[in-house]
Amino acid sequence: MANDETDMNTALMVDGNAVAGQLEQIFGRDMTMTVARCAGCSRDAAIGALMAFIRGPGVVLRCPACQSAIARIVETPTAIYLEARGAAYLRMTPQP
Amino acid sequence: MATDVIVRPVLEWQAGTVTAIRTETRQTKSFTFALPKWMVHRPGQHYDVRLTAPDGYRTERSYSIASPPERVGELELTVELIPDGEVSPYMHEVLMRGDQLEVRGPIGGYFVWDVSLGGPLLLVGGGSGVVPLMAMLRHRTAQHSTVPARMLYSSRSADDVIYHDELDGLAARDRAFEAFYTFTRQPPAGWTGYRRRIDAAMLAEVIRPFDKRARVYVCGPTLLVESVANALVQMELPTEQIRTERFGPTGA
Repeated sequence: MANDETDMNTALMVDGNAVAGQLEQIFGRDMTMTVARCAGCSRDAAIGALMAFIRGPGVVLRCPACQSAIARIVETPTAIYLEARGAAYLRMTPQP
Repeated sequence: MATDVIVRPVLEWQAGTVTAIRTETRQTKSFTFALPKWMVHRPGQHYDVRLTAPDGYRTERSYSIASPPERVGELELTVELIPDGEVSPYMHEVLMRGDQLEVRGPIGGYFVWDVSLGGPLLLVGGGSGVVPLMAMLRHRTAQHSTVPARMLYSSRSADDVIYHDELDGLAARDRAFEAFYTFTRQPPAGWTGYRRRIDAAMLAEVIRPFDKRARVYVCGPTLLVESVANALVQMELPTEQIRTERFGPTGA
């Protein structure tokens, strides 16, 4: 049963590419090539390569190495909440 | 293409007008849009499509761009019908030529390839995961690129192969390109090629001439992408040469 649930979660998982539009709307630039350092395991991954769970009321982005939650995004009719305490930092190239 | 000097405008929704609808397979159709604010894209990028119900309920999905950036002014999306989906049934069963649809894009910078990145190029697709890979191939052809390229494409049956004629035609004309098909449910009669899910042995055979120099793009259902990516890492292909895009359980 636990395995079925794990398999289902894996099958429903997409990746950071799937929320690229939402992130670009928030940050005003493409974020998929931005590197996130996981606060849990200190590994680096491009946001496009993070595990993404988008079927819930919000979005959860997880580290592909240790599966810690890196960021959560929830949109309400009046606000966007972006919680990213699972990221030690984001590293991006300066905009031209 | 001077993609680097274009100042990127804010990503915004615009109303695209459907100029053509083409049936690709039983489950997939290609939609061509004329866009008031067309922008050059990079092969592999996607557009978001948004539907708004009369009561204000909104839903959106991402669909890969099938057309190459060389098709100026037009956008082609190939969309798989997900029977219990919210957006694809509308596009397949309701949307007609001349209708408008809200789209925003192009989006994404991770799962992209253009000729400046070079090769050799291995494209691995499952089902409608072939769509962004086709944009890469169409771009490669439009640029007369001779970058060696191979595609490994998993489908349930021959009827489910999207762009079948185009891929076979390209393989026949272009000595630097080869297409490998595998059929997981019903291979065509007399088929002597692969007839199983993509596995490590199959990947090793297809990647052999490129060895560890291959740039690999993998797109398809999540479980396929996971197993292919794991196999590539086991083969000690440098991870920075692997790009993946996961579609979820069946498709976008």
